[in-house]
Amino acid sequence: MKTQLTLRVNGAPRDVPLSFVGRRLLDTLRLELGLMGVKEGCGEGDCGACTVLIDGEPMCSCLLLTGVVEKCEITTIEGLPAAFLTRFSAICAEYGAVQCGYCTPGIAVMAAWLHAGGTELGDQPISKLFAGNLCRCTGYQQIIEALTALR
Amino acid sequence: MMPTVSPVLRPSYLPPVELHRPNDLGELFACVAAGACPLAGGTDLVVWASQRGEPRQLAWTGGIDEWHIVDISGQQVRIGAAVPLSRIARSGELRSLISAVIEGASVVGSVQLRNQATLVGNVCTASPGGDTLPGLYVHDAMVDVVNAAGSRRSIKISEFICAPGKTNLAPGELVAGVTVRGLGPLEGSAFCRFTQRNALDLALASVAARVRFESDEQTVAQASIALGAVGPTVLDAGQAAALLVGRTLEPTQLRECANLAAECCQPITDHRASADYRRQLVRALTEEIVLAAAKQVTAGCASVEAS
Ligand SMILES: Cc1cc2nc3c(=O)[nH]c(=O)nc-3n(C[C@H](O)[C@H](O)[C@H](O)COP(=O)(O)OP(=O)(O)OC[C@H]3O[C@@H](n4cnc5c(N)ncnc54)[C@H](O)[C@@H]3O)c2cc1C
Ligand code: FES
Ligand code: FES
Repeated sequence: MKTQLTLRVNGAPRDVPLSFVGRRLLDTLRLELGLMGVKEGCGEGDCGACTVLIDGEPMCSCLLLTGVVEKCEITTIEGLPAAFLTRFSAICAEYGAVQCGYCTPGIAVMAAWLHAGGTELGDQPISKLFAGNLCRCTGYQQIIEALTALR
Repeated sequence: MMPTVSPVLRPSYLPPVELHRPNDLGELFACVAAGACPLAGGTDLVVWASQRGEPRQLAWTGGIDEWHIVDISGQQVRIGAAVPLSRIARSGELRSLISAVIEGASVVGSVQLRNQATLVGNVCTASPGGDTLPGLYVHDAMVDVVNAAGSRRSIKISEFICAPGKTNLAPGELVAGVTVRGLGPLEGSAFCRFTQRNALDLALASVAARVRFESDEQTVAQASIALGAVGPTVLDAGQAAALLVGRTLEPTQLRECANLAAECCQPITDHRASADYRRQLVRALTEEIVLAAAKQVTAGCASVEAS
């Protein structure tokens, strides 16, 4: 009998108890794997603080059940390349795009997707692509300027 | 180094659920017969389960390979039950074939949500404001329903959705996919919704229209209009569309059509907007979206956005 579920998280296999199959991916990443970069804001798909990449595509880990992504490559902010994160934080500092920082990991994950060429049909503006990432304090203007510079 | 887990974490919103992951239809039907609720992208279902603690037993449909297929044959498009909205919204081919559906799919939630949410999930949730629904109505969508015995029935979407949040799916039945009639020559379609925010917001009103011209590209040969978020289900404004047939799209014809659409809708007043405001939105959106559909014939792909 299988007692463990093996996930691929940030490029490495990670075992979690089988009981996590029906838990939210957000809970598995935070509570079981200690990946605290994944934030919970609303828990209902609205704020994007919990954004992770599933096979390279951004999704809300608060609405994903862990068992659903067993065969997928899961990337959290902890798994983004160091060179990208260094550049991302330098640009955020330059444009004043971070205040309390709670929304920042979700935005960083989205930025990594954008940086890797992610977009939707018709070359959407950044404001539209990032509509699922809410920030309560910085002001979207600075965030969009930073992301434009990064892109 | 891994940080240690703090013991004061807030408990999850979602009580642990029993998740089944069947790999074929037989197993999926067995799970459903045992009381599990079908789970597609979970963008509705996981929210409900977090808020209400129900349902607690889910059967994921993503393991059914044939439900991942998008099949285009001639004018017909069939979209399987496990296909996420982003996959169809990013297809240039579908954008010109079923424009009104794709324009609806492109405004659901956010990039993240569209990567998870499915078209069939949007149909089964049967919200009067479901953004893909008006487009599916004007594209004559048929919902493919299957049961454990393997028998299939195909139901018009306007009959499949019978009340807010209600479909006529019988216990033990599942939706395998949706088949739509794409645009032919001299035909265009478009969708537009009005929201207070640009994203992650429910429509106050939405309209889809489909127009086919005679070979003169001016006289309307056929038209259909569907209204979202202004009635218990999406409404077919057939009478309003009929006013356009045999005529050209002059401002007076458009105005007449839009007025009738506004009259035949059944909006409610709530904390977000009054019924009268919603009627005015329907009037304005109808004119705009009939023209956008027509423009697709005369000037290639239409795309309109309002907020
Ligand atoms: C933050 C947020 C924003 C949103 N914004 C929008 C929006 O702008 N516009 C909009 O229209 N919607 C919106 N939604 C609602 C939701 O994303 C859509 O309705 C979505 O299309 C549902 O698809 P799903 O695959 O996630 O469905 P699920 O949640 O998996 O399922 C939805 C329903 O369909 C049933 N079901 C699924 N598959 C089958 C099947 N094969 N057979 C029978 N029944 C089935 C499920 O049992 C459930 O009842 C939003 C949701 C959130 C959380
Ligand atoms: S916590 Fe997932 S979107 Fe807000
Ligand atoms: S910096 Fe505080 S929420 Fe964005």
